[in-house]
Amino acid sequence: MKELPPTVFVVDDDDAVRDSLRLLLKSAGITCDVYGSAQDFLSHYDAAQAGCLVLDVRMPGMSGLEMQQQLNLRGAMLPVIFITGHGDIPMAVEAMQHGAFDFLQKPFRDQELLDRVQRALARDAENRARLRHTDRIRERLATLSPREREVLDLVTQGKANKMVAGDLGVSQRTVEIHRAHVMQKMEAGSLAELVRMMMAVAPGP
Amino acid sequence: MAGSTQSNGGATTDGGASRVRTIIVAGQSSQRTREVLRVLRGVGSVIWPRSLEAALEWTSAADVACLVIADDLREEPQDDFLQEARELHRNLPIFVITDPDDMAEAVSAMRHGATAVIEIPPSYAALREEVARALQ
Repeated sequence: MKELPPTVFVVDDDDAVRDSLRLLLKSAGITCDVYGSAQDFLSHYDAAQAGCLVLDVRMPGMSGLEMQQQLNLRGAMLPVIFITGHGDIPMAVEAMQHGAFDFLQKPFRDQELLDRVQRALARDAENRARLRHTDRIRERLATLSPREREVLDLVTQGKANKMVAGDLGVSQRTVEIHRAHVMQKMEAGSLAELVRMMMAVAPGP
Repeated sequence: MAGSTQSNGGATTDGGASRVRTIIVAGQSSQRTREVLRVLRGVGSVIWPRSLEAALEWTSAADVACLVIADDLREEPQDDFLQEARELHRNLPIFVITDPDDMAEAVSAMRHGATAVIEIPPSYAALREEVARALQ
């Protein structure tokens, strides 16, 4: 399937704002889609589509902050840049506490928005690359046998083959064979690389 | 560690043992820092370091409940200091005090690891509530 270019999704109930942002982004060579309401955007939302959101805080119906919460519930990773003409610090703090990428007060300079959009697109690309990397590691982990997984867990805890053999009640030679299979299946060049892989897929604190 | 103590309070009981948790207020000897210290009087035991280095040292002390950055300490940009404090203490509540309506500073502080940004004046009650919650 052909991958779509990263897209800036603009969600604002004001026609004039949507038009001006579309022109601005287009002039900078950035692909964009515009929506007049949060509901409209959410009904078209595709988690696989890379990009970022430029979202008005105050809109009739669902507000921008409510839409952000909806996206959080769906596990969305799109960086969100809020724009508002009526913002205050408590509102900005709430948006940032819920994971907003940025919060911008209208009126803003065109370049100010473009800079933030570029940073948000870069962040999204980083997040997606990290996710692809961890997905690949998980796929490799799924190919390990239960015994290989036990060996992997013990060696990445820093245990030597002899200790692993003692813990599992098998010979050291058996551990060496399992360990070689683990390295091969995980496509790891060294123990350090294997440890980094396991850290990348470990659940957060 | 350099810093002066202000008031006592914030005693909590943990399995029958009483302990006092500390609020670190980092700031110069400015009007705003003094207002913050006044607001926090009686809320908990306050340490007031006057340098970033001392503030960071205090954050590593046992029983620190939160860090309140009351004022710009001018030794290094506030965002760098915030980031450093956040890297050192992932779960420490860090509250940044700003002038009213300083949206740019507030957003930047949040991006660099602040738990919340509070305008002084007028959000005195919000500051007391946030710090009281951190003490629990």
